[in-house]
Amino acid sequence: MSGKQPHPTWVVAAGLAWALGAPTGCDEHDRHAYPEPPASVAPETVTVEPRTQLLPTFPCSSKCHAARAPQPEKRLLTEFHTFRNAEFHHGDPAGWCYQCHSQENIDRLVIASGELVTFDEAYLLCGGCHGDKLRDWRLAVHGKTMGHWTGNKIRRSCTGCHNPHNPTFPHLVPEAPPVSPEHGERM
Amino acid sequence: MKNDGCTPRACPSGEPSGSAPAERGAPLLQLGRRPPDRRAILGASVAAVAGVATGSGCGNHHFDAHYKELTDEDKRRIFERIEAETRHKTGVDVKISAPQPMDGVEFAYALDLSLCNGNRRCAEACARENNLPDVPKFRYIQVLEMDRGTLDFENANAYYEHDEVPVPGKVYLPVQCQHCANPPCVKVCPVTATWREPDGLVVVDYNWCIGCRYCIAACPYFGRRFNFHEPTVRPRNINPDMGYISNRLRPVGVVEKCTFCLQRTRVGRYPACLEACPTGARKFGNLADPNGEVRIMLERKRVYVLKEELGTLPRFYYFYG
Repeated sequence: MSGKQPHPTWVVAAGLAWALGAPTGCDEHDRHAYPEPPASVAPETVTVEPRTQLLPTFPCSSKCHAARAPQPEKRLLTEFHTFRNAEFHHGDPAGWCYQCHSQENIDRLVIASGELVTFDEAYLLCGGCHGDKLRDWRLAVHGKTMGHWTGNKIRRSCTGCHNPHNPTFPHLVPEAPPVSPEHGERM
Repeated sequence: MKNDGCTPRACPSGEPSGSAPAERGAPLLQLGRRPPDRRAILGASVAAVAGVATGSGCGNHHFDAHYKELTDEDKRRIFERIEAETRHKTGVDVKISAPQPMDGVEFAYALDLSLCNGNRRCAEACARENNLPDVPKFRYIQVLEMDRGTLDFENANAYYEHDEVPVPGKVYLPVQCQHCANPPCVKVCPVTATWREPDGLVVVDYNWCIGCRYCIAACPYFGRRFNFHEPTVRPRNINPDMGYISNRLRPVGVVEKCTFCLQRTRVGRYPACLEACPTGARKFGNLADPNGEVRIMLERKRVYVLKEELGTLPRFYYFYG
């Protein structure tokens, strides 16, 4: 019985031979060891693009809300922000203003833990539900990064691209197509 | 394999010395047939782009005997001449530079197919950054529109015109030069006017290209374009920040292509297409940096390359975020 099985040494030797001989031409290109990252590359600093300065009616408290007491019951907005009624398409239809905005301080957002965060830190609020996107965003896999790939990076926050009240990315008008070589072009 | 070393175009540098023309030994590059002006330009480009390789001692005596390496002063003179020529031709003051590859950097690009909505902002920004001609209108980046659920390049449409994108039921896949680690375009060039740089960028020497278009036929990604007509860029569209082997104005009859905006990326900036993308689908970084964006994406996401079976080893990765 054991005579019919290959000796373990041969199995190992065959495996070695396969491992040494197997790589195809293609593999060889990819097998080079990556060099060390350059010393010239500065340590990465990531700045999140601030949002508050871009909001025309911010701070909300001093502009309008100072004169109004918060009304915690859900209702259709009839005096201000009326466009939100039609525009609002975000998650649970039961949700409304104070699901995300703070009742105590209208200039802040309230995250799941009850802490208040600024509009610049909206990603902390968004990540409360969209944890997978927050993880990817922190790794720069999701979202837009600007600045320099060598170190100083500026990352656009969630609300820089998505309207938080209607977060589906808007449709865009595409740029004109190139001229097809089949149709040619008059010079 | 990153820098395939001792090809004549990658290693030598400098102009042929005036007293010793290329008559001794096999004239590897047939230099004697070319006008002196063109030789000077060649020397500049090689010296500019392959300075690292030159220093590594892979030259041979033919080049030692017949060439001298351009000094910084020589290069400066050539850049100034091109700047003056461009000013004379277009009336625009431009600045030519030749940024060098950084040590320990291999560029790679990643694109999130789940985000791309086919708006072509990338292609337009590329055209402006890289001084692509207004007439004829071609683009380095081709955005393919395909039916959802297919990756059918044969029936893809790159010339779609819609009022709004994305169109329901369609998916979009931008294709540009994939900067292959095993580039077929480089292999077929009969005059080695195109090569792969140490940082992984596949570039073209516009002064050495003979316009045979073999590389266009060899590229499986339609990554290269040919100037069939004198390329005209409106002066107001000219980007004055020009790289010698990337976005300076090209003559008629040469091949050009995406260089990952070499004139920007080698000084640390992002490519123009990435900065223009409104959806944030584009990622760019150093493949050699284990904490870089591209490496993190490669390790965590489902990643594809186009036409993997051809063994071209693209440095352009598509993923679903």
